[in-house]
Amino acid sequence: MELMIQVLVSGLLIGGVYALISVGLNLIFGVVRIINFAHGEVLMLAMYATFWLNKVYGMDPYLSALLVLPALFFFGVLLQRVVVQPIQEASANMQIFATVALSLILQNIALIFWKGDFRTIQTSYAMSTLEVMNIFVSVPRLVAFLVALASILLLYNFLKHTFVGKALRAIVEDNTVARLMGIRVERLYLLAFGLGAAFTALGGILLIPFSAVYPTVGVPFTLIAFIVVVLGGLGSMSGTFLGGLFIGVVETFGGTYVSPALKEAIYFGIFILVLLVRPQGLFGKGKGTEEIGLK
Amino acid sequence: MSAKRLQLLGITLLAAAIVIPAFVDSRFILQMLTLIFFSIAMTSAWNIPVFGGKMSLGHAAFFGIGGYTGAILYVKFGVSPWIGLPAGVAVSLLGGVIMTLPLLRLRGPFFTLATIAFAEVLRMIAIDWRSLTNGSVGLNIPFKPGWANLTFQSGAPFYFISLILAIAVVFIAYRLRHSALGFHLRASASNDEAAQALGVDTRRAHFIGLLWSSGLTGLIGVFYVFFIYVVEPNTMFSTTLFSLQPALNGIIGGIGTIWGPVIGAVIMTPLGEYLRVYLGTIQQGLNFVVYGVVLIVTVNFIPGGIVSLVRLKSSNRSNGSGSPSGATEAH
Repeated sequence: MELMIQVLVSGLLIGGVYALISVGLNLIFGVVRIINFAHGEVLMLAMYATFWLNKVYGMDPYLSALLVLPALFFFGVLLQRVVVQPIQEASANMQIFATVALSLILQNIALIFWKGDFRTIQTSYAMSTLEVMNIFVSVPRLVAFLVALASILLLYNFLKHTFVGKALRAIVEDNTVARLMGIRVERLYLLAFGLGAAFTALGGILLIPFSAVYPTVGVPFTLIAFIVVVLGGLGSMSGTFLGGLFIGVVETFGGTYVSPALKEAIYFGIFILVLLVRPQGLFGKGKGTEEIGLK
Repeated sequence: MSAKRLQLLGITLLAAAIVIPAFVDSRFILQMLTLIFFSIAMTSAWNIPVFGGKMSLGHAAFFGIGGYTGAILYVKFGVSPWIGLPAGVAVSLLGGVIMTLPLLRLRGPFFTLATIAFAEVLRMIAIDWRSLTNGSVGLNIPFKPGWANLTFQSGAPFYFISLILAIAVVFIAYRLRHSALGFHLRASASNDEAAQALGVDTRRAHFIGLLWSSGLTGLIGVFYVFFIYVVEPNTMFSTTLFSLQPALNGIIGGIGTIWGPVIGAVIMTPLGEYLRVYLGTIQQGLNFVVYGVVLIVTVNFIPGGIVSLVRLKSSNRSNGSGSPSGATEAH
């Protein structure tokens, strides 16, 4: 029983980070309607940036967010402008090719500059744990979960209550009508991509105190983020959050009780199942997802 | 180019391909040509469902299933590779059914995503199921040369095997494309609802197309394993090598056509090897950066692939529209 609770807690904690990364993808996917296969590579770049700031300048990984987040925000804007915008109207297959190529380029640039080694950083708090009623909680993981939760709430309120946020939601809802209402869709695409990249980058920063970075570290996260977005439904922040937690829990339970090597296989299985049973997502608005599928 | 001249060119190339091993002594050239033929077969098999607009990025799954079936039967149970070949095809077809039946309900990018997930799951199973697959170490094919063991001292036998394989797969793809199935697939790709309204069972068409594709890919997988003497999960189920590569070849040559995959494989395989050997030694990874850039440029400027350029110049019968499956062929 205790083990079970322990596993559940670990799953929820890592699930928070998955949710954060998926919120980034959901924003990009929902607003810009691009199938971004290079999503995990943004995470990878953020992890490397944080790693090097720590290695070279001894900067604390959490503090380095002040530099890394704006940098990756602009990187996202740049990607939207240079890579995505020219293929915005192309067929879904062409978009997949272009973003797969982008991920290949970014992974291998990382390999060229930083080699294939697994790199980790040492912090004073990496190994520290809290104990609550015989359940051990790793401090950096707890921090990751809380920061992820806080930033998702922040984004939720931004989308809900600000003018720009409402415009973004309008685009998710119906791109053409949003444009007819005078929303500058192209500009908001840039913003959405930038914000999506920044949220993903934050996920990377939160991961680095307890996980290694290497050129292909982002690959599983791209798939996880897509799984979570499909689970949670396009445009649904709460759905994405719950989806992220769900995948985190499934992964840790599978890893503990079935086999560590198969934990990913389990959530891929769930992904295929969800796509089949409810392609509009478990909590989603439905409409948007199907439109993308139709395109 | 007129049809007659094209035919002549084809026959000349084929004749050259047949006599090359008699004159060329270089193991390197023979090996390269063999890789090109494998790549043509792989890309053409991958391309069959693309007639219907279904783009898989998980074909490493079938390649790996075929390869593993052949290798496990031979290494673990001493079964002849010649029985391993049909067995590999059968298991790949089974994999094709398992993947295709549920996934056919998915459209566009979700189909593609799910195929990636499918191949990844198989890779993990191959790593995890140690008693059968020997885990991430994989299985080695013992070197006992002879036709009975499908292992050879010289490079010539596999040169001819891969040549025949390439011709066979291209021929099958050609026949399928011009059969009722091919028309159904192409109708579904241009407008699925309209095709269904006209009474075409498009799901059935996609299903059969994907089965042809998975069976052929499995067959190529078995041969390939005996060509490289080793089966290992991170190679056989590699997304980059065997899922992305045929797709890259396809897009650069022109997806959804017959000659696009051939042209793509002929150009990209030596280029890929050259980049890997020369750039790869200067700087590991640089070859893939070049690859990625080529791909982005292709998608942006010639989405119909090289084939679409050739068509535009050669005849006014073609529509030369860069759409992946809308291009018509001169008969």
